[in-house]
Amino acid sequence: MAKFLIRRFIYMIITIFLVFTATFFMLAAIPGNALTGKIAKLPESSQQRIIQKYGYDKPVGERYVVTLGNALHGDFGESIVNAGDTVQSILSERLPVTVRLNTQQIVFGVIIGIVLGVIAAMRRGTAVDYGILIFCMFMTSVPSLVIALIFQLTFAGSSGLGLPIIGWPSGDELWFGGWQYTILPTISGALFYVAGYARTTKIAMLDSIYQECTTTARAIGMSESEVVIHHVVRNSFIPIITYLPQTIAGVLSGSLFIERVFSIPGVGNYYVECISSRDIPMVLGFTVFYSCITVVAIFASDVLYGVVDPRIKITGDKR
Amino acid sequence: MSEQTKPNTEASANAAPADGPLLNVEHLRVSYHTYAGEVQSVRDISFHVDRGEILAIIGESGCGKSVTARSIMSLIRKPGEIKEGSKITFDGRDVLSFSKKEMRQYRGGECGMIFQDALVALDPTMRVGKQIMENLRIHTNMSKSEAAKEATRLLGAVGIPNPEQRFKEYPFEFSGGMRQRAMIAMAVACQPKLVIADEPTTALDVTIQAQIMELLKRLRNEDGTSIILITHDFGVVAGFADRIVVMYAGQIVESGTREEIFYNPQHPYTWALLGAVPRLDWQNKQVLRTIRGTPPDLIAPPKGCPFANRCELCMNVCLEEDPAYTPFSTSHKAKCWLHDPDCPQEVLEEANQFKVKGGDPLEQ
Repeated sequence: MAKFLIRRFIYMIITIFLVFTATFFMLAAIPGNALTGKIAKLPESSQQRIIQKYGYDKPVGERYVVTLGNALHGDFGESIVNAGDTVQSILSERLPVTVRLNTQQIVFGVIIGIVLGVIAAMRRGTAVDYGILIFCMFMTSVPSLVIALIFQLTFAGSSGLGLPIIGWPSGDELWFGGWQYTILPTISGALFYVAGYARTTKIAMLDSIYQECTTTARAIGMSESEVVIHHVVRNSFIPIITYLPQTIAGVLSGSLFIERVFSIPGVGNYYVECISSRDIPMVLGFTVFYSCITVVAIFASDVLYGVVDPRIKITGDKR
Repeated sequence: MSEQTKPNTEASANAAPADGPLLNVEHLRVSYHTYAGEVQSVRDISFHVDRGEILAIIGESGCGKSVTARSIMSLIRKPGEIKEGSKITFDGRDVLSFSKKEMRQYRGGECGMIFQDALVALDPTMRVGKQIMENLRIHTNMSKSEAAKEATRLLGAVGIPNPEQRFKEYPFEFSGGMRQRAMIAMAVACQPKLVIADEPTTALDVTIQAQIMELLKRLRNEDGTSIILITHDFGVVAGFADRIVVMYAGQIVESGTREEIFYNPQHPYTWALLGAVPRLDWQNKQVLRTIRGTPPDLIAPPKGCPFANRCELCMNVCLEEDPAYTPFSTSHKAKCWLHDPDCPQEVLEEANQFKVKGGDPLEQ
């Protein structure tokens, strides 16, 4: 186990390093950056000075070494567009917003998804099952962006329920309260996960419903619901639980558009802005941040497999 | 093994005082509704199991023996259906009209089931001990720790060494024989009156097979538990069963005591099955008999005898009409036109040559 952890940790470091390197050179290869536009109207000599200050006059290789050295100390540099912003300051300011949005989306999406999946599996072949199937297909095919816009149109403002169109609770309500702002972003972002989890759950349930061990359970006198709770759900949760960390990682970057549509001051929204304005230090920093989350999530999935399924043993041996 | 000739008398001493057989199956018909049509898996069979008796149901794959076993436990699920008119009586009570509560008590509590492949029949992700505990917790009001203790004792009782350690292990950590033992421990945890063993040894090698059969026999001898053994192997039945039911194409073609079936078989199918068991007294001089052809399609069963098209002695009447049972003793009957008083003499002579020499294959 320890051997496995150490080996996986080394792989994680290598992965993040590769992401960093690839991102750096790709950004360097794109002509122009946030600076070019910002200083275009300044006199030539000032332009030179500013470029020198940011270090863009140096060759790519040297810039890479310097950036990497700083990054190792957690310093990705200052934002070009919004002077004073660093990756750390933005994260500490905006991460709570994103975390709350995503937590709500995941809790809502995963729970509703699993419930629908269980219902579809138990009522397989009926109208309920087909209804859920059609709903899932629809939700998977329509981007959450479109759903968000439709929701705003139908439920927000003067129409429908009168929910706020945009915005997000702040201050005392940062973590708790201000629910009316959070309803639409949560639901519109979660529907995709509802669909995904409903399908995954249904398939996993059907796999275990037809397992021979359910007959054994019935043969010792278990009622149908006990069989489902003790044996079917147990076994079908293995694929679901192990998929969860990756969902969490996916949601963190997946809610970029939701944050944008609802003007939510989260990390995703900022990230998108950085990309569109080519704010190189920030793009690099956030990309590394997201890749860290993804790598950790995949690692958590692998460990969870070993924890949830007794048939899988985690060892350090290479096969 | 002659002490088992009359098991009913020796077992009735410690059995419950209720009258009549423990299990009575009458006119059982089970069908599976498939896209191809209605498969009549079990077609009107009747048999009974006495208290403390071991009944073997023997037949080839697809003859309806497992379906029969599951019907007794009322475990037939869609697309299967127990047809109207079927009657299963357990201890004087009608199984098919049990309420949910009664069914819960019946399954596992009064009637336990051992499945063929314990690797798939046990939940792969649940500790073996916990699965045995589940049964105890459903049928008794034992506390968790009492149930755990009892489950450990049961594991030891079925011959699993180091039960405390094994209690905590998962099915995949058990060997095939150990798994089957755990399965038995689970089935008998609540001292059921009847245990149905559905091909309990088919997935095991011969040595382990003998051990498992010995374990089941001990269960009967010590606790007076009735056992229904479902198998396709006459070799397994020989030293074990008190009575034997031979099934073919969803029907019972012959039934009788072990002696009657082995020493005086009356149905060509039984002859064929017995002829297909290798025997020590043959000394490699005889060719094993095989049965040509395949069993009939049970979506459209033949109107005559279902074995007719595979039978060496088939007569015209066999193809036209299904024969009735001919009784040979109070316990022995067979369903064949050979035993009709109008059966021609030359066929009977041919049958005499064809008939296997009776005998218990294990007693040579």
